Amino acid sequence: MIARRVRYEIVSRALGPMLMSMEGWRRRLQGRARGRPEGPFGPPLESTRKLKELTTLHYLAGRCADGAVPVAWVTSGFPVEMLRPLGFHTVYPENHGAICSVKRMVPGLSEAAEREGYSRDLCGYARADLGCVATGTTPVGRLPRPDLLCCCTNICQTVLYWYRALAAHFRVPLVVIDTPFVYGEARPHLLAYVSDQLRELTETAERVAGFKVDRAALAETMRLAREGTRLWGECLRAGRARPSPWTGFDSFFHLAPIVSMRGTRECNAYYHMLRDELNERIARGTGGIADERVRLLWDNLPIWFHLRDLSTVLARNGFNIVCTTYTNAWAEAGPMIDPADPEGSAARAYVHVLLNRDLPYRLSVLKQLCREYGAAGAIFHSDRSCKPYSIGQVDLKGRLASEEGVKGLLLEADHADPRAWSEAQAYNRLHAFMELFA
Amino acid sequence: MFVRPALTARDRPCQCIGMRSATISARKMLGRKSVVVLPVHYPRELFTAMDVHTVELWGPPGPPRGPDAGRIQAYACAVVRNALAFLAAGGADAVDAALFPHTCDSIQGLATLAPDFGGWGKPALRYLHPKGGDGPAARAFVRAELVHLAGRLGELTGRPLEVPRLAAAIELHARIDRLRGALLSRRACLGMGDRALYRLLRRGEFLEPEDHLAELADAALGLGEERMQHGVPLMVSGYVPEPMTLFDVLASAGAFVVADDYAAVGRRVPPASLANDGDPIDTLAAKAFAMPPCPTRGGDQDARMEYLEFLYRRSGAAGLIVHVQKFCDPELFDVPAIRRRFARIGAPLLYLEGEMESSLSGRVITRLEAFVEMVDAGRKSP
Repeated sequence: MIARRVRYEIVSRALGPMLMSMEGWRRRLQGRARGRPEGPFGPPLESTRKLKELTTLHYLAGRCADGAVPVAWVTSGFPVEMLRPLGFHTVYPENHGAICSVKRMVPGLSEAAEREGYSRDLCGYARADLGCVATGTTPVGRLPRPDLLCCCTNICQTVLYWYRALAAHFRVPLVVIDTPFVYGEARPHLLAYVSDQLRELTETAERVAGFKVDRAALAETMRLAREGTRLWGECLRAGRARPSPWTGFDSFFHLAPIVSMRGTRECNAYYHMLRDELNERIARGTGGIADERVRLLWDNLPIWFHLRDLSTVLARNGFNIVCTTYTNAWAEAGPMIDPADPEGSAARAYVHVLLNRDLPYRLSVLKQLCREYGAAGAIFHSDRSCKPYSIGQVDLKGRLASEEGVKGLLLEADHADPRAWSEAQAYNRLHAFMELFA
Repeated sequence: MFVRPALTARDRPCQCIGMRSATISARKMLGRKSVVVLPVHYPRELFTAMDVHTVELWGPPGPPRGPDAGRIQAYACAVVRNALAFLAAGGADAVDAALFPHTCDSIQGLATLAPDFGGWGKPALRYLHPKGGDGPAARAFVRAELVHLAGRLGELTGRPLEVPRLAAAIELHARIDRLRGALLSRRACLGMGDRALYRLLRRGEFLEPEDHLAELADAALGLGEERMQHGVPLMVSGYVPEPMTLFDVLASAGAFVVADDYAAVGRRVPPASLANDGDPIDTLAAKAFAMPPCPTRGGDQDARMEYLEFLYRRSGAAGLIVHVQKFCDPELFDVPAIRRRFARIGAPLLYLEGEMESSLSGRVITRLEAFVEMVDAGRKSP
């Protein structure tokens, strides 16, 4: 145990950062030799390098986390702040699924899950994760075995079924934070239910960690989380500038720290850096794409495996995604977090996330984003893998058009699995949509 | 006065809807309220106590009809797509409100799509049941949800919930549950065919509880001590037994259903009677945690597998049919675990995926027949 802990600390605090800075030097030298990339995009964000370092370091440390520190597998909407003071190393299977998708590994992993009996109609992240569990195949080297599984139903109920399957596989405790759907405003008994569950979570997590949570440390984590979501919101709001200093597709990648490192100093330091860089770009008039003519909103998860190609086609035609409902979801509830009342305020914040609220609320968010970011059109990714996000999009698209004059496109794909992607059909529809703005 | 439709009526979708409409009309004539209920779990006792008639909406089967069919993508389950099309086409206009239990993401989505964006203009009630464990937080939440729902029903009916009436409703439904449980668990000793049995059990989805109780009691008179079914005994697990012609195919292939784990049927029968001597709301809350495992309510997957194996062994089934709806996440995520568990105990398993069709395809019929044949051959071989 002690030897493992020492190894974990060495990897995460010394060896990892050293390897990352060596890799940074190598990239910088390569970058100088290659010169500036050509294409329809603006100069790449410098912060991306740091983002890669953070992500790589996180997964590198994860390789030797089990047995050294308590390990929790967590859903993206889980109130992870509750686990931080107990020293958990957290793994985000959804984030890992996105990496698998970018690396085009989902079909292989999914087929492995399908051989186990999982249907191809299930969430692509879940299939990728269950395929990874079945085969041990991962693009990040190795995922640490969980001591605790933590899922929160505020993003979907699919995570509940998925984590039940993981719990049966790993034979470890599963904590479910059930956040009942909110119609209008959350009723008091609903909030009480969630905060009671958070207290029950703390008891379970303390048992797994082997010690009691330090309330002062928890309050500090909550403060950091609130600060992190505020900084993330500031980064997103940079997209209001014309031209936008980055693209919505960039923001999908830069979302990783607020999802998986929320409540840490590293996360906040990163977003300070990103925000400052975006503000500098605004001051210089540097855009995310070279020639921004039409500004768009993106609804739903990204199409991870096709992000580069899709963004290139849009950018070549002067279309920039300047805001997305998905990345905005990690900025909207943060102000509700109160370090003086961790459980009560986390209940409020985690219940009031986009996907846990009714369609009138989602429509109001779409309208607000379109107005504030000056989006003239919206691409609704009709995501086969994500039913809660996709049901209602047909009506949302129609209402956004009739009530705000925002033209919409329903683009059918999958956030992780390229087998559900019909390129010719999608690009036909996309080109027809772009012609509307001619 | 309620007119009980003949049991011999063919239950093709449109006629099934007709029977439900007739029941609602009868209620209307008496000036009483009716509520259409989406799947699966809800506290029916509360509605009975408030004199509100419930009519469940499982689809209806067949392709979604009407201009609203396309408002939900084709990769959502047919239960939800059909329900939206049906509600928006005015299929349930005779009732006074709709109840949307929080069964899954899709029904949750429908619960805001139809009332907020068109398709359902009458009051929308929601019942949020806990998805996590059964700890104190979940139990307190169920209780609060029941009180809240009672308040909403009070607004609908114009009178508050009366505790003695709730206690009586709990007792009435407990009698219904006991009879349903007896008919299902002692299935082999009942002369009635599967088709008739399921028609009877599913009439509980729309009949007045008293009428359903009377029919169940009549049927229970046919329960004997001797085994009356001599075909190949099978267990079924899934969402809803649609199309019901499934049972005709099984019967003609020489099989019968000896154990049931359909969400619409067996999973809504508590395994044991609950004490009804304290606060009726507490009794009702306790019932929510005493039901057979159902993935739509979360809970431990291993516990569900234990239960399914127990049901299988207790019933003496010789094979399992897993009959799920396409795109139904709660059911689909458990399928690998069911496969593993039943492979381990050497139980033959047939996996069927449906989309609320009105009839079975020739391919599915052939698969069912071949499965029954294989199971039968396995039983006969030493």
